[in-house]
Amino acid sequence: MSSNATPQKAHWILGALLLSQVLLMTWNARSANGEQSILRTWVMAVVTPVTKGASWSVDKVTGFFDGFAELRRAREQNAQLREQVERLTLERDEAAERAAVNQRLASELGLPVLPQFKSIAANVVSRNVAIWFRRLTIDRGSLDGVKKDMPVLTSLGIVGRVIDVGPNVSFVQLITDRYAGVGAMLQQSREMGEIRGQENSRCEMKNVSASVDVQVGETAVTTGLDGIYPKGLTVGAVESVENDANAPWHKIVIRPSAAVDKVEHVFVLLIEPRDLKTQEGAK
Amino acid sequence: MQTFKIAASIVIALLLQILFAKRFAFFQYVELPLVITVFFSLQRSPVQGMIVGMTAGLGLDIIAGGDTLGVRGFSLTLLGYVIASGSIRFSLEKKLVRVGVTVVASIANTMLYVALCKLLEKSPFTSSPDELLKIALYKALGDTVACIVLFVLLDRVFPHTGGMTIKRRFYE
Repeated sequence: MSSNATPQKAHWILGALLLSQVLLMTWNARSANGEQSILRTWVMAVVTPVTKGASWSVDKVTGFFDGFAELRRAREQNAQLREQVERLTLERDEAAERAAVNQRLASELGLPVLPQFKSIAANVVSRNVAIWFRRLTIDRGSLDGVKKDMPVLTSLGIVGRVIDVGPNVSFVQLITDRYAGVGAMLQQSREMGEIRGQENSRCEMKNVSASVDVQVGETAVTTGLDGIYPKGLTVGAVESVENDANAPWHKIVIRPSAAVDKVEHVFVLLIEPRDLKTQEGAK
Repeated sequence: MQTFKIAASIVIALLLQILFAKRFAFFQYVELPLVITVFFSLQRSPVQGMIVGMTAGLGLDIIAGGDTLGVRGFSLTLLGYVIASGSIRFSLEKKLVRVGVTVVASIANTMLYVALCKLLEKSPFTSSPDELLKIALYKALGDTVACIVLFVLLDRVFPHTGGMTIKRRFYE
């Protein structure tokens, strides 16, 4: 073999490898937004159980040592939690009573009763693996009934929506992702707008007129008009409001209620866009 | 055996990337697959550098869950080749030089990634030049810290087989 033969071969291999990546990028870029990638889906289907196992082992080891540290605070926390349980039980009973009255009044007025959606619990397998996107991977997939565009939430508020589904794994786009959007409404002023992801784990509520009085701390809830999230789910609270005298809109920063960058367990609402349309139709 | 060990290193790097990014927020500024690519590319074999770069990059594309499959594969393949070619012409084995190579590779990787995303109209996280510069510098810092730790471990698993031997193998 001549002295230049191997470098020449290396150039050809480089060309072939780069071309294969370009073809992969092109194929991926040409697919519709959010369309599933078979390669990613199947690789993640294999990787997820391994990651879950490794994560479980790490949790067991760190949890063992954390347990000792937490024992010291347990007595104090126990007293606080007992008090909280009593208060929440009272609130739950009141809420149940109000719901019963509400349902009775609705049936007397002939209003349709809105359906309750089923949900499924999921564990977070990975989170924000790289800086460029805000994503979660959860350990539930199509075998569990998860489908694309289903909302993902915690008891505190929405987390995001499913964008990619494998047999035992799904990718979730967080509401703090720059390309995520949520139709939202301020709970007190009833002003509607669009919530978009921002850097630093925050969102921005857009299209709220500068003439509307917006208070810091006001809660933003979903409107149900975006075709993804049902109406009335908590998104977050207003963290700051900037008023520019010349701008027609407020600049409203929303802090998500769910700890989207720390969440370990989530719920997937088993609801599809067509169910939301049915719900809207029923109204 | 060597190929198996390299493949295992890539898989472990990807698993650690997933595990650490979930636990430590700052880890999103670290790319272990890039560090692995730099390490194996510095062994003066462009073919090895390219293949390790492509596999590690594609693996990161898959686990990151973004919309850009193949972008990091492209970027790390190219970097693997350039670093390996550079290591044949220049002596890059010294520890401090390897750290310098990682810093440059990290910044080049960020720039390539952003440029490719723009080309594909799949803009990443931010488009503000100040923010991009900040991210590139944070990532360079994160990758540098990771390379200092990882290179010590990898040097034990893959002891130097002698640069000249590999160099001869490349040119023969």
